[in-house]
Order: sequence, then C-alpha cells, then structure tokens
Amino acid sequence: MQIKRGIAVSPGVVTGEVVVLGTEDFRIPQRFVSIDAVETELGRFRSTLDAVWEEIEENERLAREQLGDQFGAIFGAHLQMARDPKLIAEIESLISEKSLSPEYASSRVLRRFARDLQNLGNQYHAERAVDIFDLEKRILRHLLGERREELLHLRAPVIVLAHNLTPSETASLDREFVMGFATEVGGHTSHTAILAGALEIPAVVGLGHFLSDVSGGEMVIIDGNHGEVILEPDDETLAKYRDLEERVHSVTERLASLKTLPAETIDGESITLLGNIEFPEEAEVCRERGAKGIGLYRTEFLYLERNQIPSEEDHYEAYRKVIAAAPDHPVTIRTLDVGADKVPETIGELAPDVINPQLGLRSVRLSLHNIPLFKTQLRAILRAAVDGDVRVMFPLVSNLMELRQARMILGDVIDDLEEQQVPFRRDVQVGIMVEVPAAVMLAEEFAREVDFFSIGTNDLIQYTLAVDRADPSVANLYRSGDPSILRLIRNVVSAAAKHDVAVTVCGQMSSDPVFISLLIGMGIRQFSSTPHAIPEIKEVIRNLTIESAEQIAAHALTLDLARDVENYLRGELHRICPDLVL
Amino acid sequence: MTYTAQKTVRVGLEQGLHMVPCSLIVRTAERFSCEIQIQKEDRSADAKTMLDLLTLSAENGSVLVLEARGAEAGEAVKALARLFESNFDDPASGWQPATGSDR
Repeated sequence: MQIKRGIAVSPGVVTGEVVVLGTEDFRIPQRFVSIDAVETELGRFRSTLDAVWEEIEENERLAREQLGDQFGAIFGAHLQMARDPKLIAEIESLISEKSLSPEYASSRVLRRFARDLQNLGNQYHAERAVDIFDLEKRILRHLLGERREELLHLRAPVIVLAHNLTPSETASLDREFVMGFATEVGGHTSHTAILAGALEIPAVVGLGHFLSDVSGGEMVIIDGNHGEVILEPDDETLAKYRDLEERVHSVTERLASLKTLPAETIDGESITLLGNIEFPEEAEVCRERGAKGIGLYRTEFLYLERNQIPSEEDHYEAYRKVIAAAPDHPVTIRTLDVGADKVPETIGELAPDVINPQLGLRSVRLSLHNIPLFKTQLRAILRAAVDGDVRVMFPLVSNLMELRQARMILGDVIDDLEEQQVPFRRDVQVGIMVEVPAAVMLAEEFAREVDFFSIGTNDLIQYTLAVDRADPSVANLYRSGDPSILRLIRNVVSAAAKHDVAVTVCGQMSSDPVFISLLIGMGIRQFSSTPHAIPEIKEVIRNLTIESAEQIAAHALTLDLARDVENYLRGELHRICPDLVL
Repeated sequence: MTYTAQKTVRVGLEQGLHMVPCSLIVRTAERFSCEIQIQKEDRSADAKTMLDLLTLSAENGSVLVLEARGAEAGEAVKALARLFESNFDDPASGWQPATGSDR
C-alpha cells in the first residue's frame, strides 16, 4: 500500500482499477498483461508494426522525393531495422512467454540493442543508438496512441492515472466508465482541475512523480475530499473506503434533492448562493445545482484558450451565453486576472524574465497597462449587460488609484458606446476583488467608491501569509483558518456594513462546508462557490441558526492557531451536519 | 544435404559498416532463403538482421567472412561479396568508393 498526497480538485471517493495513460515522453503504462490477453496483445503489437513500417516507408518516399536518395536511404535503413526478424522475435517472445506488455517488451529489447551499440566503443555506432531510440519512439507512439483512443472505448469502470491530462482530454473522458482520475502535475486552478469539478468525478492533481510505481490494472483509491491517492490499498483500507464511498453516494443523492429548497437558515435568514465559473458552459451546471446567479465569472479562459487575443465579439458571445444560462440572476464578470506572460499580445512588452509573476504585471495592473485590451473587454461587458443583471469586478486592486483609473476607463467606454449608438447598459454595478491585504486595510475608503466587494480568499491567504501553495515545500503553511485571515474578513465585513456595500466570499474557502458557519457568523450573506459544492453549502445553511453561527464565529476568533480554528470548525460541522464530515 | 559457401571480404568504407550499407546487406540477403552469417573475428552476425550487423562494429579495413548455408548459398555469397567489392556503390550510400580493389 502506498499513499500519495496531492491537491484535491474534485470531491468524492472512488475505488477501482487503474488505467495509466502514456505521457509525452512515452512512459510505459503497463509492464505486464494478463495471460489470457497475450494473444490480443501480440495482435496489437503486429498491427502496430505494420503501421510503423508503413509510416517509415512513407518517410522514405518523401525524403527521396524532396531531399534526395541519400536521405531516403537513411529511412530505408530504419525500415530494415524495424523489420529486423531477430528484434521482432525477441519482442514477441517477451510478450508471449513472459506476459510483458508490447510497450514494455519493445522498449526493453530496443534499449538493450541501443546499449550494446553504445558499448562498442566506437563513436559512429554509439550515435546509432539515437536511431534505435527513434524507432522505440515510433513503436511506442503507435502503441500508446492506440491506447489513448482506448479511453473512448472503455467497457468497464476504471480510474485514469496520467502524467497530465489536457483540458480536451479531460473533457472527453467517458463519464460512464471513468470514475476518477489523478495526475502528476497540475494545480487547483488548472483547466483540467476545473473541468474535473464540472464533470463531477473525484480527482486529485499535483501528486508529483508517482507513475513509475504503477503499471496499470492495480487497485487504487482516489480520495477527492482529502487529495489522497492510495495505491494497492490493504484490505482494511479498502473496506473503509468502500464504506465511505457508499455513504458519500447516499449523501450526494440526498443533497441533490435540496436543489429546489431555499438557502435559508433555520431562523429564516436567507443566504445567496452563487456559482464560480470559468467556461460559459458551466453556467448551466450552476443553475442545475440551484445557484442564484454567477458570483465569479473568470474570463481568463477567453485569453488562454487560443493563442490570440479575443475580439470584442468573442467576449460578447461568451458573456451572452452565460447570461442566457442564468436568467433573472446576477452575473458578475471579473476582468482579466492573469499575468502578462499568459496574454499573447503583451508578452513582448515584458522584461525578458518575469521576476515574480505573483507580484508582477498581472490582473488589473495589466489591464491598466494595456488600455485597448481592457477597453475591448469592458465594451463587451457593457453591451452584454443589456440582456441581464451584469456586474463588473476588477481583480487584484491594491490602491484607490487603480480603482479610480479603472472606473475612468469604464467611463470612457460608456462615452464611446454612446457616441457610436451601440446598445449597452450604463448603470452596471462596479466592484472589486478584495484579495490584497492593502485593500483590506483601506476597506472603508474602497467601500465609498464601489457597489460591492468580493473577498477572493485564495489570493488573500497567499498574499497575507506569504505562501505560494503550489510550492510543496511551504504548502502546509497555506491555511484558510489562520486567525489573521479571519480578522481580515471581519474588517472587510464591518467596513462594508458601514457603507452599505454587499460582500461576497468567493474562492476555495466559500466552497468548503467547514467555513460556512464561521463566515455567516461573521456577517457574510453571499457565497460564490464551485458549482458542485453548492448543495453541501446549502445543507449547512439549512441546519444553522444565525445565533449559533455567531457563537461559532465568536469562539473561532478567540483561537490563535490555524490548526485550532480548523479543528474547532470541523467539530462544529460534525455536530451540525454529521453526514458531511468524512 | 546442405550446401555451404564462404568468401572473405574487406570493409572499404571510411566509416565502417554503417547503417546504410548494413541495410543494403539485409536487403540483398533477404532475397535468398539460405542462412547467411557474417563473421568478424570471433563474432558472428545474421546477415538478415540490421541490429546484429550493426553490433558487429565492422570498421574500415575489417576482414569479414561471409558464410551461407542452404539453397543458393553460392549465389548469396557472391551477391553479398559484390556489394563489398563495389564498396556498396549505391548512390544512396552517400559514399565515394575507396580506391583500389579490396583484394
């Protein structure tokens, strides 16, 4: 049994058999095949060889035509190598006699030949090892390429392990058979993670190097609640998780029935639950989960999706799609919130190296630095606002000047649209993300100039505690329950109350049921969460009174360690909703 | 009854028996059903397998023994010997023939 810890990106617990996806550098997914699969695997190897031969012949033909005979001859030699009867016989015998997978057998035999050549002590021959590696790659690409396609033809439930999954691969996972996945790389905010949430299958990313320990076919547990992957669990662990899996399943079913019920505390206080989205398609998921609007629409996807700057129409179309999926509800659109290194048009404007992207030219700073880029997005937002209750939100505001400049540019855009007689809406609400400690310190001043605050806990925690949670060596210092964070939130709430400004909490903290009673007790009445967390949060709210929440908050604020705060809140959640503590 | 043929040749290639000549040997050997071995000192390689031939590491000037066993053994050895004698005079070998005959 082996336990690996990673980042939990999509909740739930699942147990099943592993399928390993190959990586760009062709990691061997599986060393052995079962005895009864040997014939099939031999067949797979032979058809791969046919494809490889055909490919090399085509290379040879093209090289002869375009480069000359002597270059074609190189591929001719490669072809002879790929047809080498001794090579084929050796690989086939490893498959049939030792039940090795074609991938592993090919790689093993070819690498041995390469090593033999390298050991001949002759420069020319040592260099020929490269040709053998090339052949190895060809064969593996064909074998694994076929394998990746197999994902589309699954017949039984599996758990997918991979070095990385691209967003499109994630999106195309067959929900009927892929019960969960885990990857070596990736973080909370990677598109893969966000899509996993949308697919609602348990997922853990950022596990670090672990695939070399996995061959495929083993039993694995994905614990998407705690970010753990357990390889080849022992019987006791397996039984524990099977039981947990069943409980999670029944709780999920029960929570789904909450969809049409109001998010109201026992004593009748209504709480607004909104959804966080990245892709326009997710707006529909929010509605299905019972969200009353979109509290955070991250528009970065529009910039990152293609390697070009989105046009005003690209923005407009995406926004309209979201608005259409959230009829009669507010949609808060956050303007660009990435570093300049991610936006194609601005890359050239950067110093050759970004010293520290977290503290560099990003978010609203980038928008103010590149006004045409900013105006394009603002125009689209104001135009889309004709169709719904659209609000605009500026990220990473750290001083009042930035807010005033951003508002001024918004004013310019309004003038332009008016002059051009383009239909738009001028009275959109304007707010800021409160995610830099400086903005919290000046919350009263900001409150006089905005319509709403949205506390972005992820960045607020990172900047307050000076911790990059993507860095494994300090990730344990990243604590939502840190007393400093609680005090910052309290300050924002009180400044907002004085000036009658609405406050929403978005970010991870508002998606974790553990913190909901605390936040309500501190005066928060609006949450914007990842869609799949909405039913759980509603469950907490419906089992809470404002009085009990205030007591919980008051006690939590007396504790001076993050660990104590989190343990206390977990205990309280267990008391309020025993089902949800797993 | 098995018929055996044998002939000694010398490698006259600046870079030795490299990939392209090896592939030409294989291509030629494949035309015959007999078994063909190429020996260099105490090592021996199957003339129909590229990787075997490459690992012979036959450098310029190496003396090799071609040995065929079975149907058309004599023809096979002759055909292979011709390759060496012409210094693999194939435009594809990208090679200038060495001056002088190999024997």
